[in-house]
Amino acid sequence: MKSKRVFLFRLVFILVLVAVAAVMLVIGRGHTVYFDNVELDYQGTTYETPYKLVIYTGGEEVAKLYDGERGMATCIGQSLDLTLEITQEKGGEEELVSVTLPLPYNMDGVVINLSAYLQDLPEEAYLSEFVPVVTETGDEEDVVIPGDDMMMGDF
Amino acid sequence: MEHSATLDARKSVFAVMLQRFGLPRLIIAGFLLLLFIMAPFVGANLTVQIGNVINRFSWNAVLVLSLVPMIHSGCGLNFGVPLGIVAGLLGGTISIQLGFTGPMSFVMAIVLATPFAVLMGIGYGALLNRIKGGEMMITTYVGLSIISFMCMMWLLLPYSSPTMVYGLSGTGLRPTISLEGFYDKVLAGILPIPLTEDLSIPTGTLVFFALLAFLIWAFLHTKTGTAMTAVGSNPSFARASGINVNKMRLLSVVMSTWLAAIGILVYQQGFGFIQLYTAPNNLTLPTVAAILIGGASINKASIPNVIIGTILFQGIVTMTPTVLNSMIHMDMSEVIRIVVSNGMILYALTRKTEGLR
Amino acid sequence: MKTKHGFQKKLGQLVLDNSVPIMFIIICAVCIPLSGFSPSYLLNEVVTRMGRNTFLILCLLIPIIAGLGLNFAMTLGAMAGEIALILVSDWQIWGIPGVVLAMIVSIPISILLGLLCGKILNRAKGREMITSYFISFFMNGMYQLVVLYMMGPIIPIVHESIKLPRGYGIRNTVSLLNMRQSVDNLLAINIGGVKIPVLTFLLIALLCLFLIWFRRTKLGQDMRAVGQDMDVARDAGINVDRTRIVSVLISTVVAGFGMILYLQNMGNISTYSSHSQIGMFSIAALLVGGASVEKASIGNAFLGVILFHLMFIVAPSAGAQVTGDSMTGEYFRVFVSYGVIAIALVMYAAKKRRARSNAGQLLAEAQKQEENA
Repeated sequence: MKSKRVFLFRLVFILVLVAVAAVMLVIGRGHTVYFDNVELDYQGTTYETPYKLVIYTGGEEVAKLYDGERGMATCIGQSLDLTLEITQEKGGEEELVSVTLPLPYNMDGVVINLSAYLQDLPEEAYLSEFVPVVTETGDEEDVVIPGDDMMMGDF
Repeated sequence: MEHSATLDARKSVFAVMLQRFGLPRLIIAGFLLLLFIMAPFVGANLTVQIGNVINRFSWNAVLVLSLVPMIHSGCGLNFGVPLGIVAGLLGGTISIQLGFTGPMSFVMAIVLATPFAVLMGIGYGALLNRIKGGEMMITTYVGLSIISFMCMMWLLLPYSSPTMVYGLSGTGLRPTISLEGFYDKVLAGILPIPLTEDLSIPTGTLVFFALLAFLIWAFLHTKTGTAMTAVGSNPSFARASGINVNKMRLLSVVMSTWLAAIGILVYQQGFGFIQLYTAPNNLTLPTVAAILIGGASINKASIPNVIIGTILFQGIVTMTPTVLNSMIHMDMSEVIRIVVSNGMILYALTRKTEGLR
Repeated sequence: MKTKHGFQKKLGQLVLDNSVPIMFIIICAVCIPLSGFSPSYLLNEVVTRMGRNTFLILCLLIPIIAGLGLNFAMTLGAMAGEIALILVSDWQIWGIPGVVLAMIVSIPISILLGLLCGKILNRAKGREMITSYFISFFMNGMYQLVVLYMMGPIIPIVHESIKLPRGYGIRNTVSLLNMRQSVDNLLAINIGGVKIPVLTFLLIALLCLFLIWFRRTKLGQDMRAVGQDMDVARDAGINVDRTRIVSVLISTVVAGFGMILYLQNMGNISTYSSHSQIGMFSIAALLVGGASVEKASIGNAFLGVILFHLMFIVAPSAGAQVTGDSMTGEYFRVFVSYGVIAIALVMYAAKKRRARSNAGQLLAEAQKQEENA
């Protein structure tokens, strides 16, 4: 009887750990998000860009984009809350918009064309994956395996 | 009926052999054999390989031999080899500092290392006599302490020979000192048997080792030697028969330390360089693992154990990089070395038959 | 007159019992002025290092209770923590969730390694310390086998930034930039220029509470019994082998957590060397705090962390001041770390031997009395 209870207790404990791990996998996924403020041709139409975009996340300014510029922010979780300060034309009125961008799980780097997003285009139009250019420096990195080490170094 | 009986007998003979030889040793020997068989297929020159193994054997054998006296007197595996090595390093560097060159520098290195080895050995032995039962852990840390202490000393001692100190500051010994013009290949160069253009069997070193091994063997068969073995195998019996246990242990420690000092000098003359600072630490584990692979245990060791073990261990160390590299294009030799040497030590430590003293 | 004498004797005993910490206080007192560091810098460093290392040092306490001595094989837990962190950083889980996930992932690896370690140590009763020392070396080889050859082809690793250019194996350093000090910075407060990582200290406090609670449980009591005398414990119906394995297991798991906390503070993993030094330094620090092979308290761990790290910080520049070469100081602190462990081991072995011969004498006297009677 007792062993059954112990077993049950352990099972519950393991399940809780697995559940926490699953939650962490979801809420801890990190993304690097790149914001583009560039013109976009989509299905024959060309979408114009605003003159200036200022992007805030969590009250902090992360990028100020003029036409044709790109900004970057890091984000943890499945979606990104943004506050955009949009100036359509030079000297024109500023307009504040709050948006929540869903981010795909399996992309490390996400490129978002904000002007396209703001004009309610579908996801495939404004969102694409950022593929880092692999810069091979040429020199093969040697693996340094310390021998029967003498614990030199910091602690 | 008869048939099965012989089968049984054969089986038991096999079992006894396995028991005596030990499974890990069998695996290691089999692995080495496999390496030798594979060597020609992957394009490695077998003569060169065997020559390399013999050479490396000649460098290391005396160091491995240095463990024997302490194992015999019951002090266990001497992880404090660095103590003797440090004595040898002091001898070698002082000999060069005093201006000796050529073969004379080797003789003087041995002469100068001796007082250091004896003094350190006496101190070390006295310490080990106070802590019977906990030797191995303490020898490990005594070894590590002396290496790190000497690291400071190599920087601070007033050496001035331009071949050894840093060029710019003029003080502090360099980590690696070339022995060219001093005792480089001084033993190996005696009557070498050439194998290929730049490889030969170091007859002189092998004879030197044989001489030392014979001396140890002879010593172990003298009255003092048997008394030492008695102390190791059964201390209370030894005490009852009037042997001074502490004196025997002290003698064995001094012998081990002195042999280790000679051992490092032999290693250096083969290798061609003196390595200072943390380098001596890298010799401890290979040395201890070698004697264990050769069939020694924590309280039993013989000269054949030394020879077989050094050949097996150095064989694996030299063969794995070449053979595995050309076979699977991966250099796994370092990992294999770590796993084999430490695995062997673990095996020896966990053998139930050798329980507590 | 007599009380004064008694007091002196007591004081002498106190000094003798705490000779290692006192020696260290003297070393620090000499080195601090020589090093020329400002007190606020030193305070800041010590607080950071306390947060970084105390967890790791506390993991050594439970095996000591169970009579296994200093658990050199705590490195196994550190390896488990590193493997977990490598995986988590490849999955791109950042920040605190990354730390939590790494801890959860490390648990099964730690349990497996701890189980193995405990089993081996049960076969080497009476020389646990030297055996655990070599288990750590042996498993270091296994760790390299996994990380250097199996990660990539067998264990999937996606990101090129973690893998070696040759396509398998992990780079020398893995960056933890995205979870760097995430635990330390949450709830951190700044007092007079000294940053105090409150959450990390809370975690350490939690572990201390666990240790205090654990000592009072049935299992904790069993462990103490096993630590005092295995045969007596066995006669009392305690499963000695199992109790010892559990103690190693807990130590390994805690070491894994400690390593993760340590590395999130450092901000990167030195894949092939981080773990190998951890065991030695942690043990040295615990011993500096006045612990011995058979007796260690939470207080020892804290005192040890402070003293050891003070020495660690000031030794190189103090050495440079005295000898003109900063390497001397670095070698000095390595020497002191090893020396302290050596001294503690010698004192323990000598004491054990004295106790044994005392017991022998008592037995002989008792026999003599019996014969006389």
